[in-house]
Amino acid sequence: MTWPVGYGRVVLASVDSTQAEAARRFARFAGPEWILARSQTAARGRRGRPWLAPAGNFAASLVLRPDGEAPERVALRSFVAALALHEAFEHVGVPRSALALKWPNDVLLNEGKVAGILLEAMQGAGGGLAIGVGVNLIAAPDPEAVETGAVQPVSLLEETGIRVAPEPFLDALAAAYAAWEARFVTYGFEPVRAAWLDRAARIGAPVTARMGHQTLSGIFETVDPQGALVLQTDAGRRAVTAADIFF
Amino acid sequence: MSNKTHDTDVAFIEALAELLRKNDLTELQVKRDYGPDDSLNVRVSRQTAPVTQMAPQAQVLAAPASAPAPAASAPIETTMPEDPAAHPGAVTSPMVGTVYMQAEPGSDPFIAVGTAVKEGDTLLIVEAMKTMNHIPAPRAGTVKRILIEDGSPVEFGAPLVILE
Repeated sequence: MTWPVGYGRVVLASVDSTQAEAARRFARFAGPEWILARSQTAARGRRGRPWLAPAGNFAASLVLRPDGEAPERVALRSFVAALALHEAFEHVGVPRSALALKWPNDVLLNEGKVAGILLEAMQGAGGGLAIGVGVNLIAAPDPEAVETGAVQPVSLLEETGIRVAPEPFLDALAAAYAAWEARFVTYGFEPVRAAWLDRAARIGAPVTARMGHQTLSGIFETVDPQGALVLQTDAGRRAVTAADIFF
Repeated sequence: MSNKTHDTDVAFIEALAELLRKNDLTELQVKRDYGPDDSLNVRVSRQTAPVTQMAPQAQVLAAPASAPAPAASAPIETTMPEDPAAHPGAVTSPMVGTVYMQAEPGSDPFIAVGTAVKEGDTLLIVEAMKTMNHIPAPRAGTVKRILIEDGSPVEFGAPLVILE
């Protein structure tokens, strides 16, 4: 796999979290850069949820500075990153039929949670975007460690027998990401949206969106041109921009 | 103006008012040109949703600062007694999303009323598409009011915080 032109590559033996390291690098940003850590001492998921990362699993963050883009456009990289990760799994030998995407950026393997993507953007001057990717390459956390009703954690090795080390996985992911990023920047969200919908789980099926103060159930109709999840509910169509989705 | 035009104008204005309500907007201005020297200017505005304060303490402290300061440049035309979005110290949401007042559940909020912030300090997070957008202070100042509640949805341009 050829490393993409224009992207830096840093491999650290240990770091608190690759997202924290990415944020520290905003100030001296010199171009997009992937930061891979062989171990993390303070790994975290969305809203501070602990992210269990035993040695051999994948943990990396991409530092970007999308110039002159509105925040809602920057946020569409949730879909760009999910597509890139999906493609990286295909590249290491996972059949497409075993993979699916869950809004907006979860990649499912045999309907289990094999990876997590966390995007953090710092608005304003000196800001940037950090896309954190964690993949259960060899081990998944105990199912009892996850929220009730959440997708069960799985690992690539246990589900498929495929054994990949973090560094070659980064090579696959970085190449896939660069290609999807280029499509997004050149052609906009539409091709990204179309490709995402093509790989999405549960389209046309009932899902539940759990938001801060309310829960909404309905039929997962589509993703709109702004990236929102469109639900057909008893009270009509609703576009959801921030929620946890349960099947 | 004929009665027919009058009726269609009324229907048009009613449609605008409905649009305003449906999309949760606060103001809408439209000019319709019917011909030379014949046009219709409509401006529809309404009260924003009641402002929710973070904590009882915030309300008490916020009260003296509630009168909007006069704008330095052109006077602000408003039908509302107090429009936080028009406040010169208002920090508004750059996007539609959900607001979080702290880095993670259980940790201390980034700010409280009275917090002194430096330019670039994170005031709060707006989440959309699983992207956590840290909203920085555009300048140094003191947090006078917090206009949103943790976990609540915000619209583009909605006032979040008054910084003075």
